[in-house]
Amino acid sequence: MAEDIQRLRNIGISAHIDSGKTTLTERILYYTKKIFAVHEVKGKDGVGATMDSMELERERGITIASAATFCEWKNHRINIIDTPGHVDFTIEVERSLRVLDGSILVLCAVGGVQSQTITVDRQMNRYKVPRVAFVNKCDRSGADPIRVNEQLRARLNHKTALMQLPIGLEADLSGIIDLVTMKAMYFDGPYGEEIRIEDIPDNMLDKAREYREDLLDTASMFSDELMEAVLEEKATEDLINSAIRKGTLARELIPVFIGSAYKNIGVQPLLDAVLKYLPSPVDIRNYALDMEHDDMEVEVTSDPDAPTLALAFKLEVTPYGQLTYIRIYQGSIRKGDDLINSRDRKKIKVGRLARMHADKMEEITGASAGDIIALFGVECYSGDTFTDGKLRYSFTSMFVPEPVISLSITPKDNKSEVNMSKAINRFVREDPTFRSYVDHESGETIISGMGELHLEIYVERMKREFNSEVETGAPQVSYREAISSRADFNYIHKKQTGGSGQYGRVAGFMEPSDDNNYEFVNAIRGGVIPTEYIPAIDKGFKSCLKKGRLIGFPVLGMRMTINDGQYHSVDSSEMAFVQTAVGAFHQAYAKAKPIILEPIMKVSVECPSEFQGNVMGSINQRRGIIISCAEDGVFTTVDAEVPLAEMFGYATTLRSSTQGKAEFTMEFSKYSKVPESIAEELKKTLAEGARKGKN
Amino acid sequence: MKDFIKVSPLKLLELSSSKELGRGNLGVLMSRAGVGKTACLIHIAFDKLFSNKKLVHVSLEDTPDRVTSYYNVIFSDLVKALEIKDESEKRMLFERNRMILAYMHHSFEIKRLMENLRTFVEKLDFVPDCLIVDGLNFETADKSTLEGFKAVAGEFNVEIWFSALSHRHITEKNERGIPYPCSRVDEMLGMILQLNSTPTGIFLQLLKDHDSPVKADTSVRLDPNTFLVTE
Repeated sequence: MAEDIQRLRNIGISAHIDSGKTTLTERILYYTKKIFAVHEVKGKDGVGATMDSMELERERGITIASAATFCEWKNHRINIIDTPGHVDFTIEVERSLRVLDGSILVLCAVGGVQSQTITVDRQMNRYKVPRVAFVNKCDRSGADPIRVNEQLRARLNHKTALMQLPIGLEADLSGIIDLVTMKAMYFDGPYGEEIRIEDIPDNMLDKAREYREDLLDTASMFSDELMEAVLEEKATEDLINSAIRKGTLARELIPVFIGSAYKNIGVQPLLDAVLKYLPSPVDIRNYALDMEHDDMEVEVTSDPDAPTLALAFKLEVTPYGQLTYIRIYQGSIRKGDDLINSRDRKKIKVGRLARMHADKMEEITGASAGDIIALFGVECYSGDTFTDGKLRYSFTSMFVPEPVISLSITPKDNKSEVNMSKAINRFVREDPTFRSYVDHESGETIISGMGELHLEIYVERMKREFNSEVETGAPQVSYREAISSRADFNYIHKKQTGGSGQYGRVAGFMEPSDDNNYEFVNAIRGGVIPTEYIPAIDKGFKSCLKKGRLIGFPVLGMRMTINDGQYHSVDSSEMAFVQTAVGAFHQAYAKAKPIILEPIMKVSVECPSEFQGNVMGSINQRRGIIISCAEDGVFTTVDAEVPLAEMFGYATTLRSSTQGKAEFTMEFSKYSKVPESIAEELKKTLAEGARKGKN
Repeated sequence: MKDFIKVSPLKLLELSSSKELGRGNLGVLMSRAGVGKTACLIHIAFDKLFSNKKLVHVSLEDTPDRVTSYYNVIFSDLVKALEIKDESEKRMLFERNRMILAYMHHSFEIKRLMENLRTFVEKLDFVPDCLIVDGLNFETADKSTLEGFKAVAGEFNVEIWFSALSHRHITEKNERGIPYPCSRVDEMLGMILQLNSTPTGIFLQLLKDHDSPVKADTSVRLDPNTFLVTE
């Protein structure tokens, strides 16, 4: 069994959008005989790539949801999660990285390291994912894999080992040189399935020797044995591979491979590299939280016979019904087993389980530690932990960013209304960054997420998958409120006019706190308010944070201290003190000089250097602050912080001011105070909107 | 907050006859590897930023992320050392007044620097008072490169501070007593400071003060942890 686990790889394929990762996955599936024909991403042949299973994805040529699939290569099983490249869908990337043991970082040989690559790389660092890099599209005009390798070192600060050299470049790309075996590889047959190994062409021998020296220098840093062998000129393939694997597993080295998935060059050696250098589940240490011991971190074992522990990392509605993708970390799961959801302690029965191959599936009877499989018809949320009931463990909750943009949606007819709520219910379970609520004042349904495109995709999915037509309002920024100074309160809540009365008095002060969190400080002395009422006061304050009195958005960063009060032996109650706290909060809030905070996005624009001025101008016009500007050859990357409210429609502006040659990514950075002049305008606009909503 | 300017390494310039590098001039901070050249250069940057001056940090080696982290680390040290209370305000001040300009993979050209600075002025209304240039190789930089920087300093009316790497094993000095590698181009430089690590501490020494003579022991002692002046 242990040997089985060692022959398993759980890998992701992550990269910048349009770097060709879906094409690469397609080729991998073809060479591993999971598919028997190759289709292109944009669906020129009307079929579309296998991993782009959603209709929408096939049309747009981008991968929206993760599709899990597995394949076999040289007696090893590989589970692959194909991850989306657009930053709006990074929750998909984050979720796949959480459950994966290794990853292929795909880069474009022309575009190189781009801002999205940096984001994806940061995410991989967060989840400590070892990776190999594949510099794709070496057949394209302007391809320069060696420059990309240098960028990996300079821009991502990685130690890299260039494992191969291209034979020819751009349209002349004909094969690759393996710097470990010092052989040339050519890929014959209609789809490059026949590998022809020959001697290195004479004209490339010197260059190959030079780069092999570099490779040996780098690899030697991870193995004294190799270092000695190199000095004695006796370095063997095994020694080199073992040193590279050691460096890769320690996440101190990234082996870099090159090729062109589209031209069927270099994919099989990349698959070999996945087996040679990326970890099996037993090579990775995973941890869970022991809920019976104060969430103490405990290591899980990868032992198939140990108590079962599994994590649900993705839910999906498919033509086969609801699917829950799970990663088994410890123990085994068999058809008919009972599992306990650690979140709500509910028991579920394992009915059908399957290995997924994009939108096709293969039913199985069981699976063990390390594996990624799908369960049918299980009611749960993404991120839930399942056990066999012997352990009360939970996996660390996955990092989920707060949504930054909202949109009101109104169903066009009754049928759409019913389907819309079904759709929302599903999406909320599938995607933790997608949220929804009904605004009680306007009666509108509000959806919120990570960007315009993110919400746009869900609106489209409502239409296509749930037959629900909705009209959307203008995108709305998720503002926040905060106080800017300390203010005292001393409030009496008194209702003693017949029947059982209500009485409470609470005094203290509110003040800004250093971080964005709420803090409650109980400084009551001498029992002037009995201990049993203190939680009610905390509860009352917390209820006020949900909707600030300035513009009606949640309040961030506040410390509430109570230091005095009074109670009545008959008329005081928990409810009375909740009301007292609410009154006290409102009494002090206006005096504490509340301000409006807006989400600030970290925006990164890449453009040819000649458009640098236009890009900077466009950011400046949007109240942006340029942080830095980095030139690299003919390309410039401008990093800035820009209020989200100013970013609507930026893609169009950027396109027109740079002849479509620039691209940008953005992610939430922080909340910052809205300038006074804009705050006044905003208050008026929001008040106007609220009035219209009521009417 | 204790006054940063009173303990900044640039307090050394109070001992000079001109008291400052001055706009249109080039200054160099030189030291051997590992003594803290970049850290000291960033202290010079903070001296300007906390005086509400606008500064462009030009990096010829490091990525903007790395430069930003240098500033953040040194700022955190300053917050502790100087007991800065209004940390977020001070941070906002230096972030708004600082622009990082990085040239990766030997893509630096004086012409591009000129164009970039013009863009800052015209498109962003960011008119710099000072440039910090980190990573220029003074061993290979010829007179024309420094003439180019001199032209930048003149056109944009800024003072420019560079870092330069010296070597333990190269002890040559020119006839004016300026050590290698600045010895080759010292006539282009207004001021030269040298950071020395000795068994008794770290000292910042003034080697050149425009056309004025410099006393042999014109130096200040720096705290080895904070690079702030200790005496």
